[in-house]
Amino acid sequence: MTSATTTAGVSAKLHLQDVSKTFRVRHGDDIEAIKAVSFETPENEVCVLLGPSGCGKSTVLRMVAGLEEPTSGELMLDGHPIAGADRERGMVFQAYTSFDWLTVQANVEYGMRLNAVPKKERRERAAHFIELVGLTKFSQSYPKQLSGGMKQRVAIARTLANDPTILLMDEPFGALDAQTRWHMQELMMSIVEAANTTVLMVTHDIEEAIFLGDRIEFMSRHPGTVHEEIIPDFKRGKRITTKEDLIGLDGYGDLERHILKLMREQGGDDTDH
Amino acid sequence: MTVRSGSSVYRRRWFEFLTPLGQPWRLILGVSIWVIFFGIWEIAVLSGWVNPLLVPSPVDVLITLYELFAERGFLSDVGISIARILGSFAVACVIAIPLGILMGSFKAVEAFANPFVSAWRYLPAPAFIPILLMWFGTGEEPKLALLFLGVIFFLITLIMDHTAQVRTELIETAMTLGGNRSQILWTVVVPAVLPNVLIAMRQMLAIAWTYLVIAEIIASTTGIGAMMMRARRFLHTDDIMAGILTIGVLGLLFDVMFRWLYRVLFPYLDQGER
Ligand SMILES: Nc1ncnc2c1ncn2[C@@H]1O[C@H](COP(=O)(O)OP(=O)(O)OP(=O)(O)O)[C@@H](O)[C@H]1O
Ligand SMILES: [Mg+2]
Repeated sequence: MTSATTTAGVSAKLHLQDVSKTFRVRHGDDIEAIKAVSFETPENEVCVLLGPSGCGKSTVLRMVAGLEEPTSGELMLDGHPIAGADRERGMVFQAYTSFDWLTVQANVEYGMRLNAVPKKERRERAAHFIELVGLTKFSQSYPKQLSGGMKQRVAIARTLANDPTILLMDEPFGALDAQTRWHMQELMMSIVEAANTTVLMVTHDIEEAIFLGDRIEFMSRHPGTVHEEIIPDFKRGKRITTKEDLIGLDGYGDLERHILKLMREQGGDDTDH
Repeated sequence: MTVRSGSSVYRRRWFEFLTPLGQPWRLILGVSIWVIFFGIWEIAVLSGWVNPLLVPSPVDVLITLYELFAERGFLSDVGISIARILGSFAVACVIAIPLGILMGSFKAVEAFANPFVSAWRYLPAPAFIPILLMWFGTGEEPKLALLFLGVIFFLITLIMDHTAQVRTELIETAMTLGGNRSQILWTVVVPAVLPNVLIAMRQMLAIAWTYLVIAEIIASTTGIGAMMMRARRFLHTDDIMAGILTIGVLGLLFDVMFRWLYRVLFPYLDQGER
């Protein structure tokens, strides 16, 4: 099978078809985390997985990363089936993942070292991405000396410097305070524009989803599946660099209300666990 | 009202929850308990409460210690004991560190080796002394073997547990950056677990001293323990106490050395220079 196409005729980078995942639990019933999830992410778009806690967002992302095997269904990247983890699908986690024993620069070079990128090119690329996330002054520091937001920027720079085909992020700003998170979202916006990357990210922050997402897959629980695909087309053609730009736009309020309503319907009774 | 640091506004009490103690006070208090201990001991001997033949005074013990080193060749006994410890401990580490890391990393290795290792952990090493003596006689081998058996299985288990606790996200990050298994083992698992390996070594070295003394007391003509057993025959309690003191000081020295090594090898873990 060759590259899939979306309805719009743009070639899809990532393509999920009827993906299901059932966790076998040793004691107790099996958990059907995901059921028949299908969606596509076109090249150079930011696709956001949004939904109430426990709807299976992380599970979908981990399957795309190749860290979890689907029970059934098809996951394709550039027309090739996904089979295991690979550098083409770099992932940024919510928990801090900096390697404590490496400096910021060595952390950012790490992926390239695994892939035998020549030293000179490694240095240059690392310097470029460290600059992009604004950590040039800290390139010789160790992660223990950095704040949470800075560690997350290291993780983003490390993944981008490794030149993935698609960038995966699981609530990358979830552990940060409101102001840092807001800075990081704007930083992400500028990076995505500059680097032209395809991104699949998980969040349960509605504002973040609308701000960063070119399309939003809203997921529901019981079963965990894509409930609605939302394309915030009120943003189309507008240049948005700050949160204020976004909130000022016509249509923002309506969309936020719509998603809030979905959230309330889906997440109202938090009876499991 | 202004509150300056060091002002008397804030309550200061001797016993306070969650409040650290300054370095000078730690030192003063730490030294005082020894001063009190030796003081009571000295007084007990001087005032005749105890038989000085059975309990020599601390001053006598120190004098004896000096004589032991200066005139009676005790240094070679100490050297032999240290060599036994380091030799058998090094062999134990060479096996335990790679095996523990592999067991903590790969479930198949754990499933294979752990039933064996766990069983051995519950066999007290001194239980093997009779058979070791039969096999090896009274040479160096039974002592080294006892020390080895006494530490290796605990060391393997400690290192395995620490390795299994290396955070999943670190390994998964390396996987999504394109690392293969051996790369991840060498560049993530090993560096992540190394500080804890050193801590485990420090803990087990302390245990190794216990087995060393047992081995030397039971079947040896050389080493600190053997010197103490010889002294017992001639009622030289001061020699015995000097031996105990030597073991204590050596244990402390090794502990200090490991702490220093930890700081030197893993400076990035030091948050002090924020
Ligand atoms: N390894 C696992 N074993 C068993 N069940 C699992 C496992 N991972 C996830 N689940 C279950 O799958 C469901 C979806 O989990 P998932 O972590 O994907 O949700 P999520 O949408 O990311 O939630 P959150 O927003 O809280 O992160 C949950 O019911 C969870 O308990
Ligand atoms: Mg999640």
